[in-house]
Amino acid sequence: MAPKNFEVIKQEVKKAVAAIIEIPESKLTDDIKFVEDLGIDSMMALEIVASIEKKYKIVIPEEDIPKMRCLRDIYNSLEKKL
Amino acid sequence: MIVDLESIMDILPQRYPFRFVDRVLSFDPKERKITCIKNFSMNEYFFSGHFPDNPVVPGVIMIEAMAQAAILLYGALKPDKAAQKPDFFLGRVESKFKKTVYPGDTLVIEVTASKILDSSGIVEAEAKVKDDVCAQTTIAFGVKAKT
Repeated sequence: MAPKNFEVIKQEVKKAVAAIIEIPESKLTDDIKFVEDLGIDSMMALEIVASIEKKYKIVIPEEDIPKMRCLRDIYNSLEKKL
Repeated sequence: MIVDLESIMDILPQRYPFRFVDRVLSFDPKERKITCIKNFSMNEYFFSGHFPDNPVVPGVIMIEAMAQAAILLYGALKPDKAAQKPDFFLGRVESKFKKTVYPGDTLVIEVTASKILDSSGIVEAEAKVKDDVCAQTTIAFGVKAKT
C-alpha cells in the first residue's frame, strides 16, 4: 500500500480533532491554541492522542502531549513519526 | 511487573454497597489488561426495585463495574500514583448492551488500556457472562490528586 499523502493525513487529523472537541472544522485553524482558545481539557487531549495513536499505530509519549498546543504541533509530531 | 491481585483491591475507593468488583482474576502487563469478576447474588439491594417482578442487573451498574475495573487497571499500571489514593472521575462513557444479566450470574469484566497517563486514561471494557458478551464500553476517566 502506498504511503498516504501527508496532506490527506492532516485532513484526517483535523476532522478527528474537530469531532472530539465538537467544533466545526472551519473554526479549527492550524495555529488556534487548544487550551487558551478552545478550552480543551486534559481529558479531551487524551482522547485526541488516543485516537491518533489508534489510527496511525504510533505511540505518543506522555511527556510530548503538553507540547501539542495546536493542530500544527500535532502535524509536526506526526510527520516525524510516520 | 508483579502485581498482588488481592492488595490491588485496596486502591478501589468504592465500598459496600457500591463496590461492584469482587475479585481480580488476572493482570497481563504486556497486554495491559485486567480481568475481574462480580457475582450478582439475589440479595443485591437494587433487585427489589429493578424490577419487582423481573430482577435484572441495571446497565448503569454494569458500567460502574467496568469503571471500577478500569480503576484497578490504572492501579496495576501506575502503582505509585494509585498508592496516593487520588480521586477518579468519569469523563466519557460509550456503551453497547447485548445481553441481560440476572441474579446469580457471574460477570467477568475484561478491561484493556487504550492509553493510560498519570492524570487520565481511556480503556476498552467488556463484561461477559460465561462466553456471552453482555456489555461493551469505552471509558475515558480522569485522575486527580486529593487536595
